Amino acid sequence: MASVYAPSAEDVVRRLRPFGMFFETSLKDLIKSIRGASDDPEQLQQVLGRALAECREEVRSPDVELKANAVVKLAYLEMYGFDMAWANFHILEVMSSSKLQHKRIGYLAASQSFYKDADVLMLATNLLKKDLRYEGRNDGRNDVLTMGVTLSGLSTMVTAPLARDICEDLFGMLSSSRPYIRKKAVAALFKVFLQFPEALRDHFDRFTAKLRDDDQSVVSATVSVICELSKKNPRPFVVLSPLLYEMLLTIDNNWIIIRLLKLFTNLAQVEPKLRIKILPKVLDLMEMTSATSVIYESINCIVRGHMLDKDDDEAAAICLQELNKFCNSNDPNLRYISVILFYKVGKINPHFIAKFDTLVIRLLKDVDVSIRSRALELLEGATDEDNLASVVQILIQQFADKDVVSASNLFQQAGKAGVEIEIPVSYKVKMVSVILKICSSNNYAKIPDFDWFIAVLSDLCVVSQDLNNSTIGNQLADEIRNVMVKVPDLRSKFIDTIVNLVLNPDLTQQMPMILREGYWCIGEYSSVLRNGDEFIKKSVKQHRVQPQVSQIMTQALIKVFSSWCNDGTDKPIPYVKEILGELIGFYESLSTSHWFEVQERSVEFLEFCKLCDESLESEDHELPLLITEVLPGFFNAYDLNPIMAGTQSKIQKSLAIDLETPFLSSEELENLLREDASRQDEADSGLESDLELDSVSDSDSDDDGGAVPLSEQSMPISISGGTENSEMSPEDRHSLQAKRRQDRMDNPFYLDAGDESPKTKDGMLINFDGEETHVEPKSIGKLDLSTVSSGSLSRKKNKKKKKAQVLIEEGLPDLIQDTQDNRGSLDKELGNPSSVNSSAINLKTQSKLDDFDFSSSQVSPGVTNFGETDDSADIEKLRAKFASPSFGHDQSPDDEVIVVKKKSKSKSKSKSKTKAKSKSKNSKIISEETQNSQV
Amino acid sequence: MVQIKYMLLISRQGKIRLMRWFDAFTATEKNKICRELSTTVLARKLKMCNIVEYQDHKVVYRRYASLYFVCGISPEASNELLTLEIIHRYVEAMDSYFDNVCELDIIFNFTKAYDILNEVLICDGSMTETSKTSILKTVASMDALETSDNLDQVLS
Repeated sequence: MASVYAPSAEDVVRRLRPFGMFFETSLKDLIKSIRGASDDPEQLQQVLGRALAECREEVRSPDVELKANAVVKLAYLEMYGFDMAWANFHILEVMSSSKLQHKRIGYLAASQSFYKDADVLMLATNLLKKDLRYEGRNDGRNDVLTMGVTLSGLSTMVTAPLARDICEDLFGMLSSSRPYIRKKAVAALFKVFLQFPEALRDHFDRFTAKLRDDDQSVVSATVSVICELSKKNPRPFVVLSPLLYEMLLTIDNNWIIIRLLKLFTNLAQVEPKLRIKILPKVLDLMEMTSATSVIYESINCIVRGHMLDKDDDEAAAICLQELNKFCNSNDPNLRYISVILFYKVGKINPHFIAKFDTLVIRLLKDVDVSIRSRALELLEGATDEDNLASVVQILIQQFADKDVVSASNLFQQAGKAGVEIEIPVSYKVKMVSVILKICSSNNYAKIPDFDWFIAVLSDLCVVSQDLNNSTIGNQLADEIRNVMVKVPDLRSKFIDTIVNLVLNPDLTQQMPMILREGYWCIGEYSSVLRNGDEFIKKSVKQHRVQPQVSQIMTQALIKVFSSWCNDGTDKPIPYVKEILGELIGFYESLSTSHWFEVQERSVEFLEFCKLCDESLESEDHELPLLITEVLPGFFNAYDLNPIMAGTQSKIQKSLAIDLETPFLSSEELENLLREDASRQDEADSGLESDLELDSVSDSDSDDDGGAVPLSEQSMPISISGGTENSEMSPEDRHSLQAKRRQDRMDNPFYLDAGDESPKTKDGMLINFDGEETHVEPKSIGKLDLSTVSSGSLSRKKNKKKKKAQVLIEEGLPDLIQDTQDNRGSLDKELGNPSSVNSSAINLKTQSKLDDFDFSSSQVSPGVTNFGETDDSADIEKLRAKFASPSFGHDQSPDDEVIVVKKKSKSKSKSKSKTKAKSKSKNSKIISEETQNSQV
Repeated sequence: MVQIKYMLLISRQGKIRLMRWFDAFTATEKNKICRELSTTVLARKLKMCNIVEYQDHKVVYRRYASLYFVCGISPEASNELLTLEIIHRYVEAMDSYFDNVCELDIIFNFTKAYDILNEVLICDGSMTETSKTSILKTVASMDALETSDNLDQVLS
């Protein structure tokens, strides 16, 4: 029984709470208990769980003090990963307390967890409005601070409806007598503008007047807000540029200067005229200031604001000089950011950075891998024929897992031991591709010595096998093939390297992509391979080769065999038989492969090898004709030369194919047959029996030697067609064609490809049947490289001018495009205005304005995807509003548009007001309820 | 988007001491960022630069005694030096408020640390109050008000 005079225990407890004396767990106790249990994770979980349960209880207590305490604890527990969104309503209760202490706690928790919780925010709107007009109980200060707390809290949770409701209040606060309030209001307006761009349009002048505020912190905040807004849409702010320029000249606060520079960066992107005015000033600024971040921002402004022209050597030199200083500094941060800027300058014109090669090389040895990796990107601009070898040398050395960099090596710091660095795999991958890129750039123009390059390539193959990265493997393989094809002088040397690579058992396991191209090279250039017999013996022993590789391998081996047999030296027949036996064994093992391509090829070659074997039986001294004539005839008709990507398809397109004229007229056919017969008399009898197999290989190629017997076997089809055709009348021909088409349709083995595919097929046929000289002489003339072997490098370059040019074109623009692509997506999110875009959206928005209040009030709380989507919508709105000519430079049409818009605006506003009213009624009721529950 | 996306205070043991999100992140994202950043940042050597590329943005961090102050900044905001300077301002402000701030101060007075942060980074981290004195003045007057609030309550 509690008497009136003796306070109850509960009462005492309640009264003591404000002094931090809690009989419940206070925040301090919670932190202590968590710290005490931090050694044992299990115990920690228990403590956290218990604390959370307590909070759940306490937060429901009617005592605001206790509630606030629980909310603080929840805010602390959130750092341990416990979501506190479930307590949002209680947080709102704490916020509505009249005490500043509780308000602070409430707003803190709210800013952590309210984000986009539409229900609670709707409830909060009224509270916020009340707090912003807070009538202080004690004195003015309380008022100010409450508003300050409210404004800070508000800026973290603005949504579109909230923004609309609150913006009038905020604008009122802009004219407050206290700078603190003005500053906070400006800051809060930023978020409001993002959600509710109409506010900025309607009060543009009122807002920008704050640039001339007496208090510098307000000016600073305003500049910052304009700077941030201009990131989204710079256009409306271009009109401010004279004022801003003046500020840049007069203000000596570095923080504001940096903001102004950023702002000009954004403005210059849409207003190229600014460049003339700003650039000299920025350069001056760089000279005058001693603050590093101002210098950095100046360069940033020049580079990002597109103020640096391709031929503006002077400005570029000044910038790069400063950057060079940064790169040489002790501060790794400076080095890092300046490397990035270096890259951007280099992108504008690579020759700007060409003379900084020593710097780049030093950066490659930097302690910090992230700086190194950035320096790698610079390499393309900074390497030339003289330093390429040393650069590559440095890079390959870094393949050691641990790289020790002595600090004294880099900077003159005595007494520091070396730092050991772990080189991440991603860096290595990047390194390999950069090496390949810089070496192959400009059609290998930078390579001083191809022997060296071959060594580098094989080194790279060996070291990168651990990276387990298929793109690198493919790049290396492509490089190997390209060098082999493009540098004829080197083939004989290079092929040995390739053989070593291909027979390397580790490599076979790790980088199967290299095998494929390797075998292709060996097969194609088997004529320069020595010891083909050895190679065959070794490679048939390779097991577990991927089917894609075996597909190439089957052909490569028979080519090697053919070249080896015909390399001019005498070979003992039994030995040839032995090698052939190896091959037959190899093909037999593959002839049951599940891969169709592999199976088909190996069966083809198997049959041929068996025939060769038979023919060897009958011979004692000489190799049979089948091996000396027919076999090489399969492959050696033409040399393969490098052609530009896409050339083949171009040729096919440009070919006018005459499908009507028969290949042979009847007289020609007669002649041919007669000739044939006479030649066949000369040919020995062994050949005749072998003719059947010719059909096996006609898919590969044919040739002058082989064409003779071939014609007999494979021609009859075309002959019959030809003879018939020549004698037929046009109508008959048509009907025949129709019939053939019908046949084709019925035949399941024909792919029904309409009219196109047979055409191109025939085109190919024509191509291969020796008519090229007549059909496309130019391409042959250009691509013929086989005779250049003596011409060596210089000749090669000339020869491939066409190719080289393409490479130049591909080189740097590619680089830019890459990063642009990367940034492109971002830019889209940010809504960097491009003229096309804005005009397109412009059209949309005219209609959007009419009915926008419905959509905007409903959309924004709903779309809570990740902020970006929301933002892009805002930006779209923002941009739409301002990209329309209303904020352009010319004034006369300007006003009219604004007037019109304002009208429509006021209409929509009245609509929204009614809506808001009804809403606020709702919320009032609810908030009354909350108060009831409190009481 | 805003310049600073989030700010974390991570102790050398990898414990989160403070976190402030200026952008919408889901709880799982928050956890992921905390976990991954504490491992990446703690693993970095003294000599390395204070800028790390993480996911699609950059992370600027700075170590003071046993605490790492980690800021995620949007990539196009791009003045990393400025971010470092902001961190430093924040630490300076806390230093004078707590008089030689240490990790324990921040742990036990984390609400104060948040309050100061709110004054330093106004409005989603896109803006900063640069004057240390004005920051401290505001925080101090708030504290004074709180105690007077408490007194009022007791006296009532």
